[in-house]
Amino acid sequence: MHGLILILIVSLFFGGIVVKTKSICAGRKGPGIFQPLKDIWRLIRKGAVFSETATILTRIAPSIYFASVLLAVGCIPFGNVRGLLSFQGDFVFFAYALALGKFFMIIAALDTGSSFEGMGASREAHFSMLAEPAFFGVIGSLALYTGRTSFLDIFTYLHFGNYLSYALGSVMLIILVILTLIENSRMPVDDPNTHLELTMIHEVMVLDYSGFDLGLIQYTTNLKFAMYAALMANLFTGTLRALPDILIFLGTGFLLAVIVGGVESFTARLRMGRIPQFAFSLTSYALLLFLLVLFITGRFS
Amino acid sequence: MKAIILILFAISLLNISISNRLRGFARLLTLQGFLLFVLAFIQLNEVTILNLVFVLLETLVFKTIVLPLFLDYVIKKNRITRETEPYVPYFVSLLIVTVIILASFIIVQQIEGLSGNTLFFIVALSTIFTGLYIIISRKKLITHLMGYVVVENGVFILSLAIGNEMPMMVNTGILIDLFIGVLVMGIFVNKIGDVFQEANNEYLSQIRD
Repeated sequence: MHGLILILIVSLFFGGIVVKTKSICAGRKGPGIFQPLKDIWRLIRKGAVFSETATILTRIAPSIYFASVLLAVGCIPFGNVRGLLSFQGDFVFFAYALALGKFFMIIAALDTGSSFEGMGASREAHFSMLAEPAFFGVIGSLALYTGRTSFLDIFTYLHFGNYLSYALGSVMLIILVILTLIENSRMPVDDPNTHLELTMIHEVMVLDYSGFDLGLIQYTTNLKFAMYAALMANLFTGTLRALPDILIFLGTGFLLAVIVGGVESFTARLRMGRIPQFAFSLTSYALLLFLLVLFITGRFS
Repeated sequence: MKAIILILFAISLLNISISNRLRGFARLLTLQGFLLFVLAFIQLNEVTILNLVFVLLETLVFKTIVLPLFLDYVIKKNRITRETEPYVPYFVSLLIVTVIILASFIIVQQIEGLSGNTLFFIVALSTIFTGLYIIISRKKLITHLMGYVVVENGVFILSLAIGNEMPMMVNTGILIDLFIGVLVMGIFVNKIGDVFQEANNEYLSQIRD
């Protein structure tokens, strides 16, 4: 329960901090930190317009997307406090709840009958497919290292104090940050500010949404970022008491937002042909990490 | 600690397979040289002090500093274009190197009596095979040379695995280093890339009697 509330708080600020970071890097003053939130609120109060070729799928997809992310958020514990939905093997549920939301966004993009959206849907599916094993590599290595099979147990039994756990945690942190950028279609992979449909990935899939649905999708993106930030924060909490834990949680969210904004300010996006190898290299790293944990835990000698 | 360095070494192999600039490739060779230096420092604790100092100097000075800088100099001097120019897409290269690492993992699992040095053998084997793959999949002569450096790094890791029992093996690895030096000098002295307009082996395949 604590985790859910904290993630919701982080998600409110996330978009604003990213925009603010980008503005400061570009030498502008930039909009206030609540501006993206106000935009979302404005969208949510509006009605929606749908294409004539669209079926019911297009209408329900944003809600399912939002619900799936909310379900995934429920799995994430707060240090050693249970999440709303903690159970054995919940990381598999976590991954596939997210995949369900993504699937509905993809199928809805195909459903609208736009000539561009199918392209974006195909790319989104392709890159997610290449990056998905990376998540299981990371969480699988953690599960192997601790011998536990739920987020709560993994993060509780991940004893920090020897250099090995910190080294593992740092490597996983790097992989998770890049994974977050791929999953949320941010800068090295996709530019959220681009206006050319041919080079968009995620943005082109939501071109046909307006009003309430668009607001929901934008908020869900922030929620997803906050969720990954909570996952990262959990790598470093667990044995601490309440107040430092809360500070680490909020601080990780803030830092992730600054990193996302910084990456968007200082790097160019990759050429479309280079994204698959970028996404797949993450999977290869995770695989090597898994081998490393195999050796550390003495499964092979 | 050794395990982490070896895994970092394997990660550098993955990065080598997708590096599209020669300078980036040379930087990764610098990284590999430095990792070998740290690895030798940790691993070789039973050899004589003179031998150890020699090995450390060789990895730090030759592999980490001199060789990459000299490669940069040769690239600049011979006006070699900056792309690595592979025959196959980078994505396929990445896939193949991943498969190489997994395959060497499986192969080494079949060998018995390695006495706790399994990870050394896995990384060494995959480094050697990756180097060979780089040699056959890139067009330019200078990338063949860099692939050979990667192979040689693999041999060095292999010699480190048994370096405490057989210090002679480490010296053998260093002899191959000298051979690399001669090869780079050969490209430098003959100004391949400057005299031949195309510094790749397509030119060589046209030679007939």
